[in-house]
Amino acid sequence: MSDTLFFFEVLIAGLLSGVMYSLVALGFVLIFKASGVFNFAQGALVLFAALSLVILLEYGDGGAIWGWTGWLALILAGAAGVFYMLSRRASVARRLVPSNWMVWGGAALGLIVLGTLFEGDKAMWRAAFITLLAFFVLVVGAKRPGAAAAVLLGLAVACLLPVGQILPGDIWNFWRSIAITLLVMVLLAMAIERVALRPLINQEHIILFMVTIGLNFLIEGMAQGIWDSQVHGLDIGIPDMPIQAIIDSTGLFISTFDVFAAVMAIVLVAGLGLFFQKTRIGRALRAVADDHQAALTVGIPLQDIWAIVWSAAGFVALVAGILWGAKLGVQFSLSLIVLKALPVLILGGFTSVPGAIVGGLMIGATEKLVEVFIGIPYFGGGTESWTPYIFAMFFLLFRPQGLFGEKIIERV
Amino acid sequence: MFYREAGQFKTSYPSDQAIFPILQDRWTVITILVVAFVVIPLVANQYWLGPILTQFLVFSLAALGLNILTGYAGQLSLGTGGFMAVGAYATFNLVLRIPELPLVVALIVAGVITAFVGVLFGLPSLRIKGFYLAVATLASQFFLIWLFDHVGWFTNYDTAGVASAPSRTLFGALADAGGPLDFLAPINPVVSGPRAATETKYLLTLTVVAVLALMAKNMVRSGIGRTWMAIRDMDIAAEIIGISPIRAKLSAFAVSSFYCGVAGGLYVFTYLGNADTEAFGLTRSFQILFMVIIGGLGSVVGSFMGAAFIVFMPVLLNNVSSVVFGGTLSGDTISNMELMIFGGSIIFFLIVEPHGFARLWQIAKQKLRVWPFPY
Amino acid sequence: MAEKTFKDRIAFHQSLETLEVDFSNVTFSSVDEVDAFYDEVDQQLAKTGRRWYFLIIYLDCVIEPQVWERFAERGKNTNVKYSLGTVRVGASEETREEIRGRAKEDRFRSNIFASREEALFAIAERRKRQEVLVERQTDDYLRVEDVQLLFGGIRALDGVGFSVNRGEIFSIIGPNGAGKTSMLNVINGFYRPTRGQIVFDGRDRTSLKPRAVAGLRFARTFQNIALFKGMTTLDNIMTGRLLRRRSNFLWDAIYWGISKNEEMENRDYVEGIIDFLEIEAIRKTPVGRLPYGLQKRVELARALAMEPKVLLLDEPMAGMNLEEKQDMVRFILDANDQWGITMILIEHDMAVVMDISNFVVVLDHGQKIAEGVPDEVRVDPVVIRAYLGQN
Repeated sequence: MSDTLFFFEVLIAGLLSGVMYSLVALGFVLIFKASGVFNFAQGALVLFAALSLVILLEYGDGGAIWGWTGWLALILAGAAGVFYMLSRRASVARRLVPSNWMVWGGAALGLIVLGTLFEGDKAMWRAAFITLLAFFVLVVGAKRPGAAAAVLLGLAVACLLPVGQILPGDIWNFWRSIAITLLVMVLLAMAIERVALRPLINQEHIILFMVTIGLNFLIEGMAQGIWDSQVHGLDIGIPDMPIQAIIDSTGLFISTFDVFAAVMAIVLVAGLGLFFQKTRIGRALRAVADDHQAALTVGIPLQDIWAIVWSAAGFVALVAGILWGAKLGVQFSLSLIVLKALPVLILGGFTSVPGAIVGGLMIGATEKLVEVFIGIPYFGGGTESWTPYIFAMFFLLFRPQGLFGEKIIERV
Repeated sequence: MFYREAGQFKTSYPSDQAIFPILQDRWTVITILVVAFVVIPLVANQYWLGPILTQFLVFSLAALGLNILTGYAGQLSLGTGGFMAVGAYATFNLVLRIPELPLVVALIVAGVITAFVGVLFGLPSLRIKGFYLAVATLASQFFLIWLFDHVGWFTNYDTAGVASAPSRTLFGALADAGGPLDFLAPINPVVSGPRAATETKYLLTLTVVAVLALMAKNMVRSGIGRTWMAIRDMDIAAEIIGISPIRAKLSAFAVSSFYCGVAGGLYVFTYLGNADTEAFGLTRSFQILFMVIIGGLGSVVGSFMGAAFIVFMPVLLNNVSSVVFGGTLSGDTISNMELMIFGGSIIFFLIVEPHGFARLWQIAKQKLRVWPFPY
Repeated sequence: MAEKTFKDRIAFHQSLETLEVDFSNVTFSSVDEVDAFYDEVDQQLAKTGRRWYFLIIYLDCVIEPQVWERFAERGKNTNVKYSLGTVRVGASEETREEIRGRAKEDRFRSNIFASREEALFAIAERRKRQEVLVERQTDDYLRVEDVQLLFGGIRALDGVGFSVNRGEIFSIIGPNGAGKTSMLNVINGFYRPTRGQIVFDGRDRTSLKPRAVAGLRFARTFQNIALFKGMTTLDNIMTGRLLRRRSNFLWDAIYWGISKNEEMENRDYVEGIIDFLEIEAIRKTPVGRLPYGLQKRVELARALAMEPKVLLLDEPMAGMNLEEKQDMVRFILDANDQWGITMILIEHDMAVVMDISNFVVVLDHGQKIAEGVPDEVRVDPVVIRAYLGQN
């Protein structure tokens, strides 16, 4: 093989892996743009989404996975949702509300203990997870109990759906698992909003950043606690094999899977771009990012917006999780790809969706080229851990706000 | 009631600007120092002295270093682990290659080396700000760790890549019996390596930390500290009143890295016993950052409180969970729970008091000052 | 004969160099009346011993045919002796129209207007064009020459120049967005002008950085308070002393020798300023907790701690109530008095500006539209028009 061909092959491999980095970076950009939060927990979200999906797929039966305590929790939470929806109108029911968090907290604890006693470790975790999510989302204060109840209901229905299976088993199972995972991510987003973000409105950015690092640990622990810490294979039916046609015509080895990932990323970017620029929610998001208090003043429902954004980030995390999981296997190290996304992010600019893509391409190409042509021959490899950072840093020296970031104008 | 400053009049500026202008505070600090230097070494067991207290002191020092950079000068850094590693490997190589060098001198020189490295990696801060800078500091973290992993010279070509701390005495070989400084021999104990007593190591660490903490307090309450805080609070205004951002930022990086470097050296020589890049990974950087945030940005005493929280909490959790669950839970579950509780408690603390223990401490003092009649 | 005497109908506007004669509702029917009036005018003009612009208001004035000749003769006499130019107000719309038409044909300048304001504006225009303004005596302590500042295509400052005397209070006024703050930013080096230069004490220092400008002892307060929010009042003011720091961080670390001595000297000086500004009580309060007015005062204290030669004050009284304004004015005047600090002041409160300034420059849309002592500027129609709009 000629040197040039090899160079191009490395370059293209780099560019394609860069697209994968962009996928993770996208989740960051989304949240930063919409809430000004530098979300370090994105990697944990990816891990959580991928792990949920892969285990649901392995079980093949959504109903069994929660254990009966989980089910009980779902039902109780659903009932709570209905109760609060009604209590908006019925004054009698409303009078009961203030003391209710004690009752629900007690119920949640009870379920956890029951699960521990009768169903063992894992079921306990799962029951606790669902109970606590439902507890936070519904009881402690979703502003829209209706929406929360709908999500919970959807979750229950999605879990029961094998009964009404109409498509061939594998495909049905795959999409149903994705639906369940998405619903869980939405619940998680609502809970994050309630627990971590709402009390910290108007705090400094560094504090919010630290909270997401806390969340990162919390979600990592939770993901492994609820599911497990094994390595799972994830097969999405797209082979990681070179495309024969390209080998024939140019001699380059380019994997079908990588191309698929690239296409997915482009679709996501286009979708998000439209979402931000063309929809009313998109405008509200940009307003929130600019100034929490001002956004509140003009009547933007901050809580809803945050829940939506984090749900969207959850969705992006799921896509990233599927693609990365299929490539590397679903395991703890998935949460570390966040470290690959960070240089992409500063290179492209925190607030720019196209920046995430271009940054990803540049970082991917650079790190592969440096590793293959300098790192391995001269230093025994491993340079991939730092070349993206050094590269991004030197880039920032000339353009401190990143490639596409908004220009920082200093005023006095 | 007993914590009153009424009647303690200051008649000079020095006494008004003392570190502890209130008499009661002075007594408290003296008591703490006496307990730390005298009582604890006498009563504490090996487990408490070694893994817990020494570790706590080392981390306090690192947190103090990071607090100078992030809390006082406002430059968010995620590269603390890398700088600690520089200090650790610098100390190791100094002690290894110049056997006569007293450990304390080696630590200081290592700190200075780390300071230079810190300034080097601090250079981008002149252009880059905020989170962009935070991510850029990760470059130092990953690059330095990679360097120590891949360049054999640093670990003295150890096959496992681990650098074991050699045994050294406090004042070095020159002060051994028969050496040129042998009058020091009676007070020249072994302070590192397997032969060193835990008490000695603890006392050495405590002394270094106490001295450096005092120096940090002095810096932050005088001119250099004001320079840093001015840059932190409003860099444009600072420049307009004549502060050089370059010197302010780079001096913060230098001083902070010095502290982290010394902490790294101590971590290896008085606690771990060998230098291993695993000990200085990204998790360590985050851990130190948590100490600073939970303790309180811009507070010397907060750094200690934050370190105490992060070091003691897992110990406490372990004890509690072993008592409550008595081994019914698998190790896996416990380690995941630890992660969750760690993350959860950080979120909890930030929500309850985003300004950390230091602010709680202030409020408590204020409450105490007016107790029992708040009006 | 009208109820007002001729004496009442004559008014001198010193700042505009204008003599205003109000003939509204007057009827001249005899030669004696004309003589009586012109005698009075000539006498008063002779007393001033200089030339004036004449502004004559003819609204509803009747000059009967028998006195036309006499009137024209006396008028011509007076004009030749004392006039810098005459502008008239009055006549009907048709007459004015006719005169304008003739003016176009005969190429002479129409000088008859419908209202007094228009006429005044015409005078001001002419004064500016002919540059008859008396040059101000200046020592060129700080001279700004032809400064232009472009932001992309926007001209924030366009050929502005002025000169500040040592020890005076010099005000820059103008409507919002006129470029006042940009001017201060140029002076203290935060923006670099696209063209033009700034000369301080005889030396060109156009391209200095803010820090170097601070080194020349230029201090500044800001429109939006720029205090160090995390520090106490005392620490904030102490930062003003950092410029003259001799100690370094090693000395600071041991808090001994140079470091401690310097600290105490600075504290001593700063206490003097704290006394001066009457902020003893908030010495150890974090500035973030102080009310707005006090924050402004602390900011002034920090600037004074630099022992400035030139102090740039950007709206020091914005958002203050009357008492706070009075205090602030007192501090500014006292500081000016006590240390001889040259002050460049931006302020929207015209009463304050006119009261305390030695000299005023008016900016609008990045251009200097007027300058002068407060009394001149106050009545300058160009200025009034800039503030009130075209109508």
